[in-house]
Amino acid sequence: PADVHDAAKARVRSPPAPVTDVARLCVCDLLVAQCDVNCCCDPDCSAEDFSLFTTCSVPLVTGDSQLCSQKAAVYSLDVEANPPERIFKLIDQVNPSIFCIHATNYKQALYLKSPEIPTPENFDQLLAKFGGATFSAEPDSWNLDTDAQNPPDANETSRYEYGVPVQTEDAFLRLPSPVVSSWCSDANPAGFLVNQATKCIRSVSVEKCDSIQALSMLFYINSSILASVFQVNITVQSIAVQSLNGMRTLLSSSDVLRLPMVLDELCINAVLGVNYHITHTDTGEIIEAAAAFVLGAISKEALSIEQSFEISFTQENTQPVPLSGNPGYVVGLPVRAGFQPQGYPFPAAFLFAALALSSNKHSQLTILHSTSTQDCLAAQGARAPVLFGYNMISGCKLRITAAMKCQPLAQTLLDVLKGQSFPEYVASFGNSQAQDVLDWVPITQLHISEQMISHPLQSSCQIPVSLGIEVKWTKYGSLVNPQARIVNVTATITTTTLKQLPSGRERIIPITSSVVFTDISSPAEPSYKAWPTINIKLPFDFFYPFV
Amino acid sequence: NNSSQLSSLPLQILLYVNGIYYIFYFLATLAMIIYKSQVFSYPDDLLAPDLVVLFLMAILEVPQLYLGFKGNLTEAEVPLGLSLGLTVGSVVLCVYLLLWQTYVLWADVLLNAVLLLAYGLESGLKVMAITAFVS
Repeated sequence: PADVHDAAKARVRSPPAPVTDVARLCVCDLLVAQCDVNCCCDPDCSAEDFSLFTTCSVPLVTGDSQLCSQKAAVYSLDVEANPPERIFKLIDQVNPSIFCIHATNYKQALYLKSPEIPTPENFDQLLAKFGGATFSAEPDSWNLDTDAQNPPDANETSRYEYGVPVQTEDAFLRLPSPVVSSWCSDANPAGFLVNQATKCIRSVSVEKCDSIQALSMLFYINSSILASVFQVNITVQSIAVQSLNGMRTLLSSSDVLRLPMVLDELCINAVLGVNYHITHTDTGEIIEAAAAFVLGAISKEALSIEQSFEISFTQENTQPVPLSGNPGYVVGLPVRAGFQPQGYPFPAAFLFAALALSSNKHSQLTILHSTSTQDCLAAQGARAPVLFGYNMISGCKLRITAAMKCQPLAQTLLDVLKGQSFPEYVASFGNSQAQDVLDWVPITQLHISEQMISHPLQSSCQIPVSLGIEVKWTKYGSLVNPQARIVNVTATITTTTLKQLPSGRERIIPITSSVVFTDISSPAEPSYKAWPTINIKLPFDFFYPFV
Repeated sequence: NNSSQLSSLPLQILLYVNGIYYIFYFLATLAMIIYKSQVFSYPDDLLAPDLVVLFLMAILEVPQLYLGFKGNLTEAEVPLGLSLGLTVGSVVLCVYLLLWQTYVLWADVLLNAVLLLAYGLESGLKVMAITAFVS
């Protein structure tokens, strides 16, 4: 109704008048209709309340102290009287400085500016000015460059830095991701060198599935990425079709663009997943972009589907290997290990061959993973990767019966302790490349046998009972940002004699494996620049007439 | 020197002192305006009129003093009359700086009051000199 609207307008247009009378101002009066403790200016307090106070938290209420003469309200407690009472005095405070303000013709000079009350008329303008995360105190006319920043010029898009959104023709390379809830938001840009994998839910309807943009392949590949002087088109690397029961088939030809369409109450060729692979140079220019799609079918009853997106960045001419630090190892990331390729004679191999790295978890540096059964022979294959900086110990129990033969048992235990493929080299830095063989540290294998001293000549066979990997690392680099560098890795196998058991008896011996990280960094010595030397030499004919 | 010389000695002294005092006044007021613009909130659209008034007063002061000297020494009433007119203008500007400036500091009040006093005395002496020259 119109009168309510007008009343609302009238209410809104007049903000409360600011109180400037010092006798009525009270900053410590926080509780409404209740007496605040030690607040001498609180009008809700009675004389009995004042008698209980110890001090006045606000002794003086005054206006701007720069004025030459102004009224001030002074509150104090007279503790001599019985009961203590509050004294209120209104005095004229004088500022003795010669530069005190005698008068001012600018009313807002001494008070804070009253904010604009939002009304339906000025709401949009206020929202544009103050609605963002930051706003500037300067007037708008000074920010002339805000519109000039988009679109960016070609020189700036040539090199990307870490985290900068990858720009395309229209906006940014989108990686839909869940924001706040699990629903897909298309406004998430992909950051350069930020490998991300997201899953989100999108609401669909089978009838309109060919009009929903986010379900079609075109939405993800139609804009080309801006990079240096040319634009990089996103090529389709592969298409896998997922059937309704979840089985995926890789299509042989990925040239044909498959758009979603309705077929037999199903929506086929709907995008269920996109995997972007971006190749870049070492200077930050994007040279190639490919997308691998997973298309699927949506049945009529489905109201929403889950889409998964992933983006990974690879430097050209390198194998994508996950780094464990750049350059020093980061605590918690796996220690990278590798093998020397077979068939190379030793010196030449060291200089020219590259180490064979494998992203297969089982050929990394791993230790035995304890299982719930704690039986060594049953738990073959459970390994845990060695993470830098984390000392680990694990083990299992071996039940030895009389019937067990020593040699096969020793070999089995060695496999249990070391794993199927125990690596030969460990990367000294978290980002050591396989080509730089000198960046890799060989694993020293030691063998300690606990032989019984009483029978030194008895050549009974030895079975390994523990594996201890000691990783010595040092701090490398600058004093303020030291990087962890592995210097030495020693794998010590301790073996013990297997005594023959009488038949029918069995023994349980514990098998342990451990990883210890030791910091062997020498204390840092700060180095200082050499003192500047004063180099004064008189010219040789300085004392000319006399010499 | 009451028969042959009509020039007023007090007026001459006052004009001379006024010239020196005005230089001090101008520099002090300018410095205080700069101080006020840094310490207080002084928007540009209020700073501009104050500066304009101060510089206008300086521009008026120079011919006023020159004409005053010339008129008094040559015992001519026309320059002295013009000087009196310019003094009235300066008085108006001085009153503006005393009452209607954006921030009137206590030092401003003192300086402007002294200047007004000087202008008042000057005007009185000029009127007396003019009547002496005319008659």
